[in-house]
Amino acid sequence: MLQAGSAVRGLCKAIRPSAPIVKAADKAMAAHALPATLVLSRSQSNKPVVADNRVEVFVDDIPVMVEPGTTVLQAAAMAGVEIPRFCYHERLSVAGNCRMCLVEVEKAAKPVAACAMPVMKGWRIKTNSEMTRKAREGVMEFLLINHPLDCPICDQGGECDLQDQSMAFGSDRTRFLDPKRAVEDKNLGPLVKTIMTRCIHCTRCVRFASEVAGVEDLGTTGRGNSMEIGTYVEKMLLSELSGNVIDLCPVGALTSKPYSFSARPWELRRTDSIDVFDALGSNITVNHRTGEVLRILPKTNEDINEEWLADKARFACDGLKRQRLVAPMVKDSKGDLRPCEWEDALIVAATALQEANGSVAAVAGGQADAEALTALRDLVYRLGGQHVCTEEVFPDNGSGTDLRSNYLLNSSIAGMEEADLVVFIGTNPRYVVLVLPCMSPTPGAWCWCCLVCHQPQHLGDSSATVEQLCAGTHAFSSKLAAAKRPMIIVGQALLGQSQGGVLYAKICQLANKLRGSVEPSWRVLNVLHRVASQVAALDLGYKAGVAAVRQQKPKVLFLLGADEGAITRSDLPADTTVIYQGSHGDAGAAMADIVLPGATYTEKTATYVNTEGRAQTTLAAITPPGYAREDWKIIRAISEVLLCVFNVVAHEEPMNVMLQSVGAARVDGSAVLRPALLQLEDYYMTDVVSRASPTMAKCIAAVKKEKSNRYHSK
Amino acid sequence: MSSSRLVNLRTARQVKPMLSLDRAEARTRVINLYKAWYRQIPQIAIDYDLPKTQSECKKKLKEMFMKNKDVKDIRIIDALVIKGQMELKETVQVWKQKHGIMAFWAPTVEPKPKDFMGKFLDGHN
Repeated sequence: MLQAGSAVRGLCKAIRPSAPIVKAADKAMAAHALPATLVLSRSQSNKPVVADNRVEVFVDDIPVMVEPGTTVLQAAAMAGVEIPRFCYHERLSVAGNCRMCLVEVEKAAKPVAACAMPVMKGWRIKTNSEMTRKAREGVMEFLLINHPLDCPICDQGGECDLQDQSMAFGSDRTRFLDPKRAVEDKNLGPLVKTIMTRCIHCTRCVRFASEVAGVEDLGTTGRGNSMEIGTYVEKMLLSELSGNVIDLCPVGALTSKPYSFSARPWELRRTDSIDVFDALGSNITVNHRTGEVLRILPKTNEDINEEWLADKARFACDGLKRQRLVAPMVKDSKGDLRPCEWEDALIVAATALQEANGSVAAVAGGQADAEALTALRDLVYRLGGQHVCTEEVFPDNGSGTDLRSNYLLNSSIAGMEEADLVVFIGTNPRYVVLVLPCMSPTPGAWCWCCLVCHQPQHLGDSSATVEQLCAGTHAFSSKLAAAKRPMIIVGQALLGQSQGGVLYAKICQLANKLRGSVEPSWRVLNVLHRVASQVAALDLGYKAGVAAVRQQKPKVLFLLGADEGAITRSDLPADTTVIYQGSHGDAGAAMADIVLPGATYTEKTATYVNTEGRAQTTLAAITPPGYAREDWKIIRAISEVLLCVFNVVAHEEPMNVMLQSVGAARVDGSAVLRPALLQLEDYYMTDVVSRASPTMAKCIAAVKKEKSNRYHSK
Repeated sequence: MSSSRLVNLRTARQVKPMLSLDRAEARTRVINLYKAWYRQIPQIAIDYDLPKTQSECKKKLKEMFMKNKDVKDIRIIDALVIKGQMELKETVQVWKQKHGIMAFWAPTVEPKPKDFMGKFLDGHN
């Protein structure tokens, strides 16, 4: 169950996938020879010996002490001088082909490319001298020979590096009057729009695709004036990270297809927020105008997503406008849902809750926020209900979810950097949670050596592999035991199956065994969740899985954004009243008797806890559509109606203490270690918002069509 | 007395008075204006055919004056008196229309809800 390659890529810094690794993994995936368990290892002790061998250089006469091997550009940044650049990017390898960063170094014969040149002792770098300025002006003139003058109709206009830098460093006229060259546009799929005539060949997209996304489809063909970026054959950019090339492109050659021609950057209002499409909690900036979300961009957070963002988080935002519930609805005498006033819906809901006489249960879905979860839990308990559950299942044997460390990614996302060996069990982090890799900006550090040393390994597909690892009889066990900082990452999807509890117990045993030999503060066991609400829900005392609700058969079932079909009408008695509160009309609303329209994450200020247990807050960018309201307010409104109209006295009953027996159960062969999300087309639609998104539908269609492409690598 | 207050006093003395030289004079002007309005109320009610009783009008008059009871600056009091006189003239000469007078009662303005349920049903955050 270890998903190595893609997982690897997924692994953040520690596990930076080398290109070959990723390729191997992707091939494995395509062939369905799925690595059940992937292992990444890195050679140890990459900590340099501390000695002050720093060298002194002068940037515009400002002295700075830098490590040997630091580039001129980095040294200048330390001195607070920013050197213009196009091809250089902190998280990608150095290409040095745009020449924009040329600077003068005293006593050097020619200007040097700052991004690629390591400093030498005593160098005097002049970033604003006559020679430097002339070099920049010359480079800019060359770059603009073939760049079209279409800024007025270019989507990059206003946020274009070339535009800005030509204003700052370029000449005011051109000496080249020959016709400009034109380049055929490439079709990279439904997300990335290409206008290749604008390309200045910085190759950032090529490096991103091969180094970070792990798809080596992009490359350059031709030389000199006929050089082109592309896939060589007609091919789609099959990656769930493809949107990042739009941010990386310094010009308008790669732009966003869904966003094209819709707004200028100076018209947009920006609100920082948190992504809720996976459990990573990526930081985002919501760009909106006139009460409409136009696009979502990543926001840098070094501990989580660095500066990348997955395609679903970036492009599914058009799903926020479709299929929305905009008014409260109640079933009429014919059994049809009819829109009504909030007063009516609240009274009907409160009446049902009050008449249930304590037979009340709640199920929370994957995008519920912590405030609404708290309000709902309190409401159910006060009414005498005992079951508040999440749709996602987590084993409740042993100490279950009582201990927080049982269900967190304990080592933290940034902490993965420290790991020397990672075992993925039953998860494909590539699609489940994009724990995104990054390239360390410090040259010569571990990232390069792990490129060389990381060898992902497929340990097995069956549950027997886990048993063997546990017993120490697997061929890999000796390596695992020798690791100083091993990580075992368990996929939530694996734990959700019927054998999940037993498997989890085995994995815990394995982790405990390993803890004996690792550093005392190191956490071996990590759980990778799929949905954004799960950790907060477990923190707040929700029970994982709806088994208890099925058993209880409550008179009133409250669904808080629960749309994944964990519980259906057939699980409930005919007289059960189902109250659905959520943002989209999906499975939950379809089975409901009362529908209360809620807000999505861009419309409420709410708290989410990511898979490593980090609480973060979304900020409301726009207002909910129609009569929709923020979620916790709806629940509080119901409580107020209960209090005012029915004068329900709050009483809390002690929770039933569930005795759990941890039998010495054995895993039978039915447990599947294969992660559920293995194919790219499965990745795009996993929740109500993305299911409502036309862009995501186009992505799925495009990926499926791409499979019939004869150039598609099988 | 602190030095900053001295500075204030000095500055205040230098300001050119609008009408009144001291508080007592300003107060006299306010009371005169009030009385002028008070005497005109019966005629205004007839001229504009107001659907209000005289006592309601007097209550509103007092309310409008009491709205500014905390104004201390003599120049601002004077300015308000001048505006009040202009308003009175417009009213008495019937330069206004009925709704212009009725606007004092703001009959169409609904107070914003302050409690949670009120705000929730109203759609206010």
